Amino acid sequence: MSKFSQALAAKDFVLTVELDPPRGPELGPLTELAKELAGKVDAVVISDNREAHARLSPLMAGQALVQHAGAEVVMTLTCRDRNRLALTSDLLAAAAAGVGNLMLVSGDFVSLGDQPGAKPVYDLDSVQLLQLAAELGQGRDLAGGLEGPAIFFLGASLAPEARPLGPQLIKLKKKLAAGAGFLITKPLRGLEGLKEFASVAGELPVKLIAGLEVAAGAEPAEALALAKEIKAAGLAAGVHLAWPGEPQRLPELVGQL
Amino acid sequence: MIVAQRKPFAEIAAAVAGHRRVLVAGCGTCVAVCLTGGEKEAGILAAQLDIAAQLKEREQAFGVACVERQCDREFLDELAAQVAEHDAVLSLACGAGIQFLAERYPDTPVLAGVNTTFIGINDEVGVWGERCRSCRDCVLTVTGGVCPIALCPKGMLNGPCGGAEDGKCETDRERDCAWTLIYQRLENTGRLANLEPIITARNHQASLPGRQVHPAYERRYSAHE
Repeated sequence: MSKFSQALAAKDFVLTVELDPPRGPELGPLTELAKELAGKVDAVVISDNREAHARLSPLMAGQALVQHAGAEVVMTLTCRDRNRLALTSDLLAAAAAGVGNLMLVSGDFVSLGDQPGAKPVYDLDSVQLLQLAAELGQGRDLAGGLEGPAIFFLGASLAPEARPLGPQLIKLKKKLAAGAGFLITKPLRGLEGLKEFASVAGELPVKLIAGLEVAAGAEPAEALALAKEIKAAGLAAGVHLAWPGEPQRLPELVGQL
Repeated sequence: MIVAQRKPFAEIAAAVAGHRRVLVAGCGTCVAVCLTGGEKEAGILAAQLDIAAQLKEREQAFGVACVERQCDREFLDELAAQVAEHDAVLSLACGAGIQFLAERYPDTPVLAGVNTTFIGINDEVGVWGERCRSCRDCVLTVTGGVCPIALCPKGMLNGPCGGAEDGKCETDRERDCAWTLIYQRLENTGRLANLEPIITARNHQASLPGRQVHPAYERRYSAHE
């Protein structure tokens, strides 16, 4: 059982942050930042070519943070850039690197990134990727038996503000059936969508973490206020903070919660 | 039908530059219906190429032909005499027609005059929309007659991604989210239960070159006796 899954089970409110691997080969600053955050948050979520911009592999970044920053890592893996063979191989590598938690998502489409002509893969969708990771936990890949299991705590994303909600609820049900053990929402714009989602979806069998993002150039006051309200009103089991423009200010932000 | 778009004139002009006598070969079926490569378009393109050649004082001649379908051997045979009189053929058929023409006349350079865009429908006058990726494993019965492979950029099989907003796609807020359409169609027809089972990883062997033989012809094309 991963430390993060234990924290999520034991605590009333968890705190996670999102860090992007560098757009270069130097892992030092990321490791230093993760060291600073490690004692303050329950997990560091490493993004995977966020918004379809190429970055250093989340696998290598995840390994570095586990080994050198003492961080509890959640590695994001998207369906956009890898077929089922590459996904399987990276998942096995993640287990070998000591990464015990995954965030398995479809991934922003390539046309939203800086290389819109790249071939989008999507050999599996996010539900099928969850199925694959769950199979690895049983010592099998999609073709059959492996030499040993790769056990992970599986996370999935949720878009509570997307409308209509019906299709999202169908997808959520499938993600849960496929083995998702926790959910992190897409960055929320407010709390109305989340509240409406909760009233329609009812009680969920897994913990839901509310995603918040400080937009580039913005001050964190709005995200901080939302986070405090979510915590006070018990709208989610925790908050996931991203500040892609100024990640070095995340420790300061986390300190205020 | 198969929809195609004529290549930019400059690209075509550059491709034919090295040939003195070029036959512009239209196709009378799909590309004629989408106003790209039929007899009329072949004639117009030949005239444009002719003018461009004259302006550049290049000695070139452009013939025009059109057959019913370039994807059928018997129609391609009709071109034999004209192909023999030219140094190259500029085909305005879809990619299949261009290849079959090149296969039928292997000693003559065959050039592409169009980009084949998709298998689609005639949405409105002059407007075509993609509907099918010929994936060889049709899910339309389950998905309410709306294809998630052709209409969802990610080809999601188990529901929308998180990028859908107000029924629109993350790649373009003018583009309908295929999964919203699927949901609405199934809801309207009382078939939402269709979406409950998880569709597992697909068989992508469809990316191998296809070939099919009609059952009635199996004996003819089976191992020679």
